[in-house]
Amino acid sequence: MHPEKQKHAFEPKIIAFVCTWCTYAGADLAGTSRMQYPSNVRVLKFPCTGRIDPVFILKAFQQGADGVLVSGCHPGDCHYIAGNFHARRRFAAFRKLLEFVGVDLNRLQFSWVSAAEGGKWVEVVTDLTEKVRAMGLMTEFKELALEEQWSGTIDTPELKEAYDQI
Amino acid sequence: MTQPIDTSIYAAVTEAIRSEAKRILSEGQVSAIVGYAVARRKGSAQPIVISDAADVSKLIFTPACVNNLSVYLTKAKKEIPKNGKIGIVVKGCDLKALVGLMGESQLKREDLFLIGVPCAGVLGSVLQPDTELTSDTIASKCRECGERLPQGCDFVPSVTLPATPEQEQIYAAEIARLEALTPAERWAYWKEQFSKCIKCYACRQVCPFCFCEQCLCDRNKPQMVETTPRPAGNFAWHVIRAMHLAGRCAGCAECERVCPMDIPLNLLNRKMAKELKELYDYEAGFEVNDKGPLASYDDKDDQSFIK
Ligand code: SF4
Ligand code: SF4
Ligand code: FES
Repeated sequence: MHPEKQKHAFEPKIIAFVCTWCTYAGADLAGTSRMQYPSNVRVLKFPCTGRIDPVFILKAFQQGADGVLVSGCHPGDCHYIAGNFHARRRFAAFRKLLEFVGVDLNRLQFSWVSAAEGGKWVEVVTDLTEKVRAMGLMTEFKELALEEQWSGTIDTPELKEAYDQI
Repeated sequence: MTQPIDTSIYAAVTEAIRSEAKRILSEGQVSAIVGYAVARRKGSAQPIVISDAADVSKLIFTPACVNNLSVYLTKAKKEIPKNGKIGIVVKGCDLKALVGLMGESQLKREDLFLIGVPCAGVLGSVLQPDTELTSDTIASKCRECGERLPQGCDFVPSVTLPATPEQEQIYAAEIARLEALTPAERWAYWKEQFSKCIKCYACRQVCPFCFCEQCLCDRNKPQMVETTPRPAGNFAWHVIRAMHLAGRCAGCAECERVCPMDIPLNLLNRKMAKELKELYDYEAGFEVNDKGPLASYDDKDDQSFIK
């Protein structure tokens, strides 16, 4: 009973950092209940949202993610009691920083998805995937990675000429 | 319009620092004092550690005393005698850094003898140290400084701080300008700035809060931040640096001062400070907090950005 899969010109890469106790179980529930959601999402399992370092998000974008999702237990439900409370502050601050350096925050989503919320997982993943699909490729970080070795403006005409003469 | 800034109190401050230093050293209250001394170039100053009461005449305070000396109590603390209290000369901004370090259990108040300096401002650049302090040459951080008189010190020279003229707030204005741009324009701005970085890590070296024995950015298993001065690694370095200092930075602007490539580093730190003030009503100050804004939480913290 698989519905016909729609063909898209662009399939965004979505990286999801999830905590093992709630969101991972929620995603699992969505799977075992045979709910359909975009296969664009790559799930990475962590002990707790408190273990999800902002640098992971940065790294994901640098390695080619077009969108990032961070998801864990609802406030009060964290397996380690306060991991998600700490994460909430850290990500609130990190969002502001990313925004200030010019990252479009529409590519970054945070959510609370419990082990019982298979439906919410489907909804969150679908929403983010479609939003990012509409935005297109995340080019900024890729361009940075592709830029040549020396980032200063060293390719002056004089140097080019000297180089060509070698 | 250039306005002169009255630094006439600095002579009295220097005198007071010397006599207090002499007293505490000869009474054996402290084993060493970290302060400022005359450096080789005319008008310039450099950090000094003295442990002999005969050396107190070396201590000075002038507009060229830009360094935040608290960094010596974290990284180089091994070089400073451990036996006994240490005296340290601090401006308001330096004291905020010390207070932050106490909050992070890096230092103990009882191990320190704080000599606070009533400060009318220091130079923005010491490339020309023999410069008059004016509304043009003053450091940007001093333009926005609201705490010219350090609080809670063991000794503060009793001088009356002259009124300072109202000055243009460069950081605040620049942050507002950047905030008004589109994300793409901001990206372009920072990309240009970060592309200048040569990864000398002077900013990290000088920061009192960058005291980790191994920086995340130096680790290679796994490597989180590319270490070469290429655009991707530079971008990551600056974002991580700003993030790791969020809620901790004292605003001493030393990072920006030492950057050989003139990257406006403190804009990032100040932007984060501004956000944390708005979000969690936290500001670096003179009172020791065990938990900074990102080391604590409240059940009712804003989560409007979370689905
Ligand atoms: S980040 Fe810069 S301004 Fe903040 S404490 Fe460190 S050196 Fe001072
Ligand atoms: S001091 Fe300037 S050039 Fe050196 S690592 Fe820091 S930002 Fe880069
Ligand atoms: S265990 Fe799920 S957020 Fe902490």
